[in-house]
Amino acid sequence: MDSIPALTIEDVANIDGILQDYLQKSESDLAVIIDKGGNVISQYGDLEVMDVTIIAALAAGSFAATKELARRIGEIEFNALYHQGNGSHIFMNSVDDDTIMITVFGGQTTVGLVRFYSTSCASSLAAVLKGLREKSNPGFQFEVGDIATARMAEG
Amino acid sequence: MSIINYASKEIQFKIVYYGPALCGKTTNLAYIHSRINPDNRGDLVSLATAADRTLFFDFLPLNAVVIKGFKTKFQLYTVPGQVIYNATRQLVLRSVDGIVFVADSQWEKMEENIESFKNLEENLAKQNIALDDMPYVLQYNKRDLPNVAPVNYLEFLLNNRKKRVQSFEVISSTGQNVFAALNAVSQLLLHKFSKDSDPARPATAPVAVPGARR
Repeated sequence: MDSIPALTIEDVANIDGILQDYLQKSESDLAVIIDKGGNVISQYGDLEVMDVTIIAALAAGSFAATKELARRIGEIEFNALYHQGNGSHIFMNSVDDDTIMITVFGGQTTVGLVRFYSTSCASSLAAVLKGLREKSNPGFQFEVGDIATARMAEG
Repeated sequence: MSIINYASKEIQFKIVYYGPALCGKTTNLAYIHSRINPDNRGDLVSLATAADRTLFFDFLPLNAVVIKGFKTKFQLYTVPGQVIYNATRQLVLRSVDGIVFVADSQWEKMEENIESFKNLEENLAKQNIALDDMPYVLQYNKRDLPNVAPVNYLEFLLNNRKKRVQSFEVISSTGQNVFAALNAVSQLLLHKFSKDSDPARPATAPVAVPGARR
């Protein structure tokens, strides 16, 4: 019997507050917090434009793939990555050992501004996540009866 | 391991299809993708070479409401089977919740099956996870080919452990037992997180059922 680490509504509100402030200051469109396994922890911003789940999986892969490149030049890993497009861009930076922040932004801002504000945002998030891991979180378990009989709708 | 988000009422689980090169892991995901209603799944993302060999991973997100009040997302990944890509397999296994081990039933693939199974156990051990603590099922794939080993022999090779697991005779190209294996591993991992985690308990309704081919 295991339990699943749980983010309470207050925890999510706390993280959302940090992300909202960051998006406003950096004039970015979307911020997603993921673990290095590719799971989405939290997200804020314009969520209609893309499939956040897929972005998270690919970003975690991209971050890990460059780790080997980093090692070749004597680094343990790169703590930030930037993918430049024609109109939309992605900036990724490390929050802590297990967590990455992805920022999607367009032509209304610059990578310099995003990079500048991402540093303080990552520090604030790291502090919140550290607090979450340290507090005695009972985690989440469900009853066997809660595993519903609902099934995927047939296509 | 995944995190539950009470604000969005979401739980995510990561299921990895593992096995030797060319055993049919990507074919499993392609079949599931083709048979699930698009409203309940995302795109199938493949990071493959020009010759369609998996280079990094394939990824398919599925949505289901299987826990009362919570949207449950299953994220299906494959690993590259070729021996040299072990670093990538370790990466994909990070935070894994359940595994489908896909074995190639052809006689000449037995050594590769065993090597891949051992490699799975070693890579989990690097994350301090014992295979016996991980929800997993076995697929004996390509049962339609003429030169396949009998199921008893595959069971002897791969399922001869203290804790025996469910195994399925699969033809991933036609979809035979692909959903049976997916539902079995989903139920195993859901029951692992339930308060009354009795593995002998009969499974509840399937998590995913195939719809019309699209």
